[in-house]
Amino acid sequence: MRRFILRVVNLFRRAAAEREMKREIDSHLRLLQEEFESRGLPREEAALAARRSYGGVEQAKELHREARSFTGAEQFVKDLRYGTRSLARSPGFTLTAVAALALGIGLNTTVFRLYDAIALKPLPVAGPDRVVRVKRWFQHRLAGDIQYNFAYPEYEYLRDHNTVFSGITAATYQVPVSAAMEGILDGQRVTGHAVSANYFAELGIKPLLGRTFLPDEDRLPGANPMIVLGYAFWEEKLHSDPGVLGRTLKLNGVAYTIIGIMPRRFTGTDLFPVSSAFWAPLSMVRQLDPGFESDWRTQWREPTRPRFQIIGRLKNGISRGEAQAEIDALVRGYLSQFRQEEPTTAITLQKTAYFRSTDDIRFQAASAGVLIVVSLILLAACANVANMLLARGAARQREIGIRLAVGAGRARIVRQLLTESMLLSLLAGMAGLLLSAIAGPPLWSMAASFLRDIRGGLTELDFGSDSRVVLYGMGLSLITCACFGIAPALRSTRPNFCAAGSPRLRGALLGVQAAISVLLLTFCGTVVSNLFQSIRAYPGFESHDVYALFSIAEAPHLRERLEMLPELRSVATGRLPLSGTFTPPINTGQALERALATYTSDGYFETLGIRLLRGRGFTHSEADVQAPVAVISESTARHIWPGEDPIGKRFSLDLNFRNQFTEFEVVGISADARFASLSEVDPLHVYLPSASQGGLIVRTQGDRGKALAALSAAAPDIDVVNLEEGFVSIQRGVFQALSVLSGTLALLAVLLAGVGIYGVMAFVVTQRTKEIGIRMALGASSHGVTRNIVLQGLRPVFIGTAIGFVAAAALMAVERSTETFPEPLARAVFAHPELYAELVLMLVVAGLASIVPARRAARVDPMIALRYE
Amino acid sequence: MSSKEKLPVLQGTLDLIVLRTLQTMGPQHAYAIATRLGQISGELLQLNQGTLYPALVRLEQQGRIKGTWGKTQTNREAKFYAITKAGEKALAEETRRWRQISGVVEKLLAEGA
Repeated sequence: MRRFILRVVNLFRRAAAEREMKREIDSHLRLLQEEFESRGLPREEAALAARRSYGGVEQAKELHREARSFTGAEQFVKDLRYGTRSLARSPGFTLTAVAALALGIGLNTTVFRLYDAIALKPLPVAGPDRVVRVKRWFQHRLAGDIQYNFAYPEYEYLRDHNTVFSGITAATYQVPVSAAMEGILDGQRVTGHAVSANYFAELGIKPLLGRTFLPDEDRLPGANPMIVLGYAFWEEKLHSDPGVLGRTLKLNGVAYTIIGIMPRRFTGTDLFPVSSAFWAPLSMVRQLDPGFESDWRTQWREPTRPRFQIIGRLKNGISRGEAQAEIDALVRGYLSQFRQEEPTTAITLQKTAYFRSTDDIRFQAASAGVLIVVSLILLAACANVANMLLARGAARQREIGIRLAVGAGRARIVRQLLTESMLLSLLAGMAGLLLSAIAGPPLWSMAASFLRDIRGGLTELDFGSDSRVVLYGMGLSLITCACFGIAPALRSTRPNFCAAGSPRLRGALLGVQAAISVLLLTFCGTVVSNLFQSIRAYPGFESHDVYALFSIAEAPHLRERLEMLPELRSVATGRLPLSGTFTPPINTGQALERALATYTSDGYFETLGIRLLRGRGFTHSEADVQAPVAVISESTARHIWPGEDPIGKRFSLDLNFRNQFTEFEVVGISADARFASLSEVDPLHVYLPSASQGGLIVRTQGDRGKALAALSAAAPDIDVVNLEEGFVSIQRGVFQALSVLSGTLALLAVLLAGVGIYGVMAFVVTQRTKEIGIRMALGASSHGVTRNIVLQGLRPVFIGTAIGFVAAAALMAVERSTETFPEPLARAVFAHPELYAELVLMLVVAGLASIVPARRAARVDPMIALRYE
Repeated sequence: MSSKEKLPVLQGTLDLIVLRTLQTMGPQHAYAIATRLGQISGELLQLNQGTLYPALVRLEQQGRIKGTWGKTQTNREAKFYAITKAGEKALAEETRRWRQISGVVEKLLAEGA
């Protein structure tokens, strides 16, 4: 060990060690020589004899070096020094290369950092790797949050019968309530959770202040009105006042005693990462959420309404698989005594992460898609740097040639060139990591600010650089190094090295770069133009005067009361646009497709300002009895019954996804709307009558302030969200952010391509100066020379452009096929005039990048060119 | 070629030889060690004087010997190596091992005869 350290130390004090060695060997030789002189040899002969007797001095030195240190490593250190010097000598090249690579690596690492924070970092609980979520799978493949629903009796059964968990907890989904506190809060809407009393103890979370629940505090219904507060809520609303402990906070009018404050890092375990404002014991669940029936504790019910999420901690020595087998058998055994409408077919135990949907195939696909796009940028950067290195290799031809000639091995020089590349990529890796550390948090807070208004306060995600992120960034830079470094290093050290003679690699690199740039340009460009179109387009419904009402407590006959208000133009119930989709299978007699279906009451079309083109809307009694009639959108009519009158026609829907079709008769046709998303008109959209589904929606008239005042006077316990501010502009904002991002990516790609092409062309021109001189001396016009060079340089670019274009079309076909409503590919890709503008832009950049050096070549004086070395 | 057949130094024995030499003769410079080796073996051991160095470097790095610069009797400067405590211990251990191995080999050869 000691020897190892000394050897490592010797790596860095090479000069001193060399001196010491030389001194010792010299002294040895002198002693030998003395010996020979004393035997009577003349001085010169004695010196020679001493050397003979000693053996090869240089060999001895080499042996000495080997024993003293690691030869390979020592050479590496030497290469490192040499590489540093050589990079420092051409700062322009170094800066450009590092910047290009750092951008690519930084972009990639940022994406990975987001992914890491969302999907890989564990929940903020003690021993997170032993903590699992219980998830159920349904026979009819119902998917989403509903898979985490468990009735209380199921929880109780598992708690009492399992042998694999050391503890098991139940928690509700987030419950919205109005919070009031004397002089501080007056009925603000906050969200919190009701949890089993063992929740904090089992998850191993200690309160920052005060205490958490005692084991039996969730037993007696309505007893123990006490809450533990979330840090963010305590900090923002109560100004981090420790004096609030022991005071009371009213939630939905019921007074709760504040018994503890959670530390900042614990924000809750809900499926979506919202920071919980409070946690109350399960005994208070009906006071918080009136939706719970009085017998929720004893009666098993279909898991179709949100109930409880179960989180368990595995006993030591029990694997997730073992535990899963037991829990699966327990739940299915328990359920076998009931007649289930929605049978549970399996139970799995899931690792916990901030987002529940991280094992969702769609999430994985989306992440992979983003990663591919940013990797393409990195690849383009690699091609770029590889080309620059090739050019640099050609410029160093003489240096490398001399080193080869004096006997340096090719492997040795390749290693040296690769060391230089590695230096570049490591520098870039570090810069990239820094870049991503800076970019990660603002990106998330941007996303969070969009989502905040919809889902309540979002959790601050932890974007700290954990070992995964650093490993990823550094690993990426090494892979990058291999990508751009190996080919140029091999090429530059060929024994019969002749740079101008083998332009194929260069051409290929140019082509790859052009293909990637075009691919990105086309893809991002299409995204941007689609997004802009979506932002500009009229959504098909009114949003400025439309408000959604969210009732916190039950308010009977509210609709009737609101209809009396003169400030309101109309009142209806139903689902709002842009608030999720319900897409049951539709059967029109021809093919089975999926249609967007929306339940609406009478007055809905008027309230949302959706024009009825033909026929009629729903009547009050049709909505009450959910009559089998429907209004369909214009596009739907055109799609299903082209050229026919759809009124009176019939179609059927599988509303439960169980192959039980219900028939509907078309009574009206509405104008098209961008209901599911602003990005496109819903291709198939049917409105069905219902008075009970969805929330209240009102449309005001006249002065808005007056209307809102009248509203809150009529319904004091109600939250009002404007459709424009709460939904439409949020989606527009997301689209804007996305288009800025995509546009930046596309521009980056073009910029990289331009730099790459320019670099290569400039290099080619330098290489061919002599040839150009000869041509011109023989009478070629400068115009002809320019054309010749530009065309030759652009050929790979043209080929690459074509390949990139085809790849982009294929990519978009794949992307399209994953969406619910497919649009014909041709329309998506080839109908946009912007697309052709992008291609032209690419070619213009390529042309400019090659014309500039070509013109320089054409201005060359033939006589100077001929003498040019 | 000399009339005597020279023997290559057995792998791993050089350290033992150097340590033992230093133990019996006190601090010595590399030349003296080499000379001494030649004397003892009657020029039987084939040892280029330069090949001594890796062993010296290794032993010094292992802390078994320690080198200091000093003057020879002829007032030449040279690096004198002395055995350290750790070196003494290592020597005892190596000696024991060497005796064991050579004993075994000896026995084996005797049996075969």
